[in-house]
Amino acid sequence: MNPVSLTAIQTIVVLGLAPFAVGCVRLFKARLQGRRGASPFLSYVAFATLLRKQMVMPEDASWVFRLTPFVVLASALFLVLVLPLTTVGGALAAYGDLFVVAGVLVIGAVFLVMGGLDAASAFGGMGASREMTVTSLLEPTVILTFATFALASGSTGIDGMLASGLSVFRAPYLFPTIAALGLVALAENARYPVDNPATHLELTMVHEAMILEYSGPYLAMLEFASAIKLTAFALLIGNFLVPATLAEPGASLTMVMAAVAAAALKLVAAMAALALLESVIAKMRFYRMQEYLTGAFLTALGGLALALIQRAV
Amino acid sequence: MNPDFLISGIFLCLAGTCAAAIISMIARGKARRRFAMLTLAAATAIGAATGAAAVVFRPEFQAAPALFGMRIALDPLAAVFFALLNAIACAVSIYAIAYVDGHADAYDVRRLDALTAVFMLGMQGVVLAAAPLAFLACWEIMSIASFFLVMADRKPESLRAALFYLIMTHLGAGAILAGFMLLSGGFMHAGFGWMAAYAQGLPDATLLLAFALFLFGFGSKAGLWPFHVWLPEAHPQAPSHISALMSGVMLKMALYGFLRVLLGILPPLPASWALPIVALGLLSAVFGALYAVVERDLKRLLAYSSIENIGLIFTMVGAALYARGAGLPVLADAALAAAVLHAVAHAIFKSGLFMGAGAIVGQLHTRDLEAMGGLAKRMPRFSGAMLVLALGAAALPPSAAFMSEWVFLQHVLAAVRTASPFTQGVLVAILSSVAFVGGLAVFAMIKMFGIAFLGRPRGAHAAQAQEPSIGLSAPVFAMAGLTLVVGLGAPALLAVTGFFGVTDGRRLVAGGGALSPFSLAAVFAAVGAAAFMARRLSSDAKHERAYHAWDCGQPTDASMEYTATAFSAPARFFFRLLLRSRKDVQASPIAATNPWIARKTSVLEIRQVWYELMYAPIVRAALFVSTQARRLHSGVIQFYIAMILAALIAALVISL
Amino acid sequence: MPSILKLLQYLFMGPQVTALRSVFGKDEEDAVVEAKGAELKAIIGRLYGGRSLRIRAVDGGSTNAEEIELTALGNAYYDIERFGLSFVASPRHADMLWVTGPVTRNLERAVRTTYEAAPQPCLVAAIGDGACTGGIWKDSYAVVGPVEAVIPVHLKIPGDPPSPERILSGILDALRPRTS
Repeated sequence: MNPVSLTAIQTIVVLGLAPFAVGCVRLFKARLQGRRGASPFLSYVAFATLLRKQMVMPEDASWVFRLTPFVVLASALFLVLVLPLTTVGGALAAYGDLFVVAGVLVIGAVFLVMGGLDAASAFGGMGASREMTVTSLLEPTVILTFATFALASGSTGIDGMLASGLSVFRAPYLFPTIAALGLVALAENARYPVDNPATHLELTMVHEAMILEYSGPYLAMLEFASAIKLTAFALLIGNFLVPATLAEPGASLTMVMAAVAAAALKLVAAMAALALLESVIAKMRFYRMQEYLTGAFLTALGGLALALIQRAV
Repeated sequence: MNPDFLISGIFLCLAGTCAAAIISMIARGKARRRFAMLTLAAATAIGAATGAAAVVFRPEFQAAPALFGMRIALDPLAAVFFALLNAIACAVSIYAIAYVDGHADAYDVRRLDALTAVFMLGMQGVVLAAAPLAFLACWEIMSIASFFLVMADRKPESLRAALFYLIMTHLGAGAILAGFMLLSGGFMHAGFGWMAAYAQGLPDATLLLAFALFLFGFGSKAGLWPFHVWLPEAHPQAPSHISALMSGVMLKMALYGFLRVLLGILPPLPASWALPIVALGLLSAVFGALYAVVERDLKRLLAYSSIENIGLIFTMVGAALYARGAGLPVLADAALAAAVLHAVAHAIFKSGLFMGAGAIVGQLHTRDLEAMGGLAKRMPRFSGAMLVLALGAAALPPSAAFMSEWVFLQHVLAAVRTASPFTQGVLVAILSSVAFVGGLAVFAMIKMFGIAFLGRPRGAHAAQAQEPSIGLSAPVFAMAGLTLVVGLGAPALLAVTGFFGVTDGRRLVAGGGALSPFSLAAVFAAVGAAAFMARRLSSDAKHERAYHAWDCGQPTDASMEYTATAFSAPARFFFRLLLRSRKDVQASPIAATNPWIARKTSVLEIRQVWYELMYAPIVRAALFVSTQARRLHSGVIQFYIAMILAALIAALVISL
Repeated sequence: MPSILKLLQYLFMGPQVTALRSVFGKDEEDAVVEAKGAELKAIIGRLYGGRSLRIRAVDGGSTNAEEIELTALGNAYYDIERFGLSFVASPRHADMLWVTGPVTRNLERAVRTTYEAAPQPCLVAAIGDGACTGGIWKDSYAVVGPVEAVIPVHLKIPGDPPSPERILSGILDALRPRTS
């Protein structure tokens, strides 16, 4: 199959799996709490219901409030197009440079922050200030994590990192870096211990507080974007652990379908691990976030140092 | 290309700027003033075109005429900075027409306009100078003109800031003079080329001393830590178009001087000498970004952001020198390219931001972010331009600053693979610090835009704000457009400037990958369009209603919004050891019977730490020395005669 | 390895704490008043049969007895989430408003604002006697009246407080009527 159809298949699959991933986490958390939980396919109905609703816009909001959902959804779509989630060597893989991806993640967070500030409520400001702090202080960890992979694989494009056959199990010095990537993923997707996505207490919200004023289709766009990001990060971590299941250009249809099925399995496993993590640990107090961020940074730095030492000896 | 065209272009530019200065001084009436400023704009436009032509065509200036000891020639380095300087100056002079008209009661208009032209003339002379004497003369013109411009509104704090600036700039100029004297052996009329040959023969100790003097001199003018303390005082006090010139262009003149000395005059330096530049650059970047994050004055925030960007540029320059000394030529070339690109990008977006800030401050009569708010709703188009500039200042793709950081960090990563362990450590430190600073810069810029433009107006003036007039907003739109154009055209720009190692004309190239900014922007646009179509196709676009924000059922007003101080509170808390902010709450009970009913005063103060650590002890030492030296004024005439005799004997001993 | 299998077995095939759907609505006295039946059906039809609805609980001045019962709905025995119903913090995210307590004068504005902040279509359910009819505070000077005096109500669930079974069966019967 040529790269364009590979990218198209990846886009359709990931966009289709994103609500399922969110539903999966909810189901696993419910089962771990002894409840039955809703079916994971119910989140599709949730998004569809949102699209049928009216939108209530705050009177004081400006054009930035309206622009935010489009930019956030666009940044999530960009990630799906360029990252190697089910395939490597896609048509747009050249744009998946690590600095560009980090920049696009920041763009998405920045517009969400501005949307929260534009709502002119104290809740929006609270979520905005917290989210901005976490995003800006997470930046060096993101860069260092991907820089370590770039160093180990010789390519600064994330697609190239996986295409080079880098495997954590054959290169165990990459484990701290995978751990740092996991910490980054938790912080970027507003999961425990950084944020509780299911809370109703505004003083404990980070991500949710910024979207309190959105309703109807705009809310559907924002929630879909965060589902896409969660799916993308889960698949990315799964691919760094087991890159063998990725399809390449020139693969037959059956191999591509196998890659898609493997991606779905990786997603379910990642969501199960996330649900277990969220059921076991507690959310950190926000004013202890510098401990989390420093720990993530030192993990990434340690991973980079290990990779450098490994190359030297 | 015939060099005569360029020489006449340069002459026209200089003559036009002089003419603008003279016309402003003698002109009475708005129309004549407007004519003076338009003359200035025309002259600087010709200068920008000349500089651009010199960059693109690179003519040979063989028999170039000399003007007051200044040889008129533009080598590639000078041409880039000449073009940049004049382009920004053109936009500023157009902006100045409407700006000074709006503030005619606060400034002496004729003097302000004349000094602006003289300031630009000084900067043009600095770039054109090919000998130390001419360089320093124009440097002094630049500094003195900007000194008078900083205190143009004659307020006490402006005067204080201007005097502080004058002291720092003259200390720096003295250091530069000493450095030039060392490198030229006292022959100050000789050209830079002669000095380069002479400097080859100097001993290492002299070179080290000269290097240190230049680092202090140019660093203090550029705003490098720890010599930057004048910058956050002087830039906010100046009129906004002067702040734009000072932040956008004058700092680049210091960078130009530093590059000229390092690359053109000093022989290739050992790698270890470049490490102080890298260290100071990183420290400037970190502290500048940190203080920008916690600042609530709009123009001071932009000034600290300038310090941060200059720190990044000096880090790139230092990395280039270090790489050259450590045997990594690809990184050296790329870091220098990134430094020049970042300088161009910073000049554009910072001058745009300062001009925009001037338009806002003019309407709201305050620089305090916490009195602003809701401006995006009241001035939608202008806020769009300011958003583009803020995102450009935050170095987000596809703006120009992002491209320069991409080039730099990509080549740092490529060099880490093959370098020695110590160099790897240095490069990893640079990588993580630049990423850290990038994150903080995003914080500061989003805070600036978010608190000033979004939400509800927090004051009466903000509630009545209007779209600024075309004279004020057109330059800002131009700068916003330029930020994107320079970002998208970065490969072409770098190829034209001669940095062939980092570009192939259409893409930026590095060891691990390549990036085409234009295609990236096209992908962004396509994805944005896809999001828009998805929304249109999946739901009814008209189905909406306006209502006030969710307030839990209780009436809310603008005072319940998040303020700038609140927005940066987590950062202030996380970095409290570095910032040493002081929070003081005093409660004075009103009724003697109940201590809980009290009048409370709360003070949050953020001090500049190194001001007390470094500057205060130096000032105290200087005062101590001068107090002791007063003992020499004993009033006894025999003592004075003995001093004259001692000085005469010492002079004879030294000279013989 | 066997411990993981045991854990999985416990999680997915272990003893079920959650009560089955058929348990709810067994008592005849769990009477539910359906006001505005046609509008209720129209809204549910528009929202994909009410399979996934988000609820915003508004307290109009209750004794918190209803609130405690609502909190119990999220526990492992009743598990309201499996029916696609979840609680949200902001009325802008809500598809249903559950109002408890008689609407006091101090909170009348809050209830009205919450209803107007919720995007249409939005179902309103009055939970508890105070919300349905005013309860024992019916003609008090401090109370405006039942919820329908302030905002339109589609569904009423009486009880002081109604047990979680009654709430759940009432809501579920209104959303997805059982054909029996």
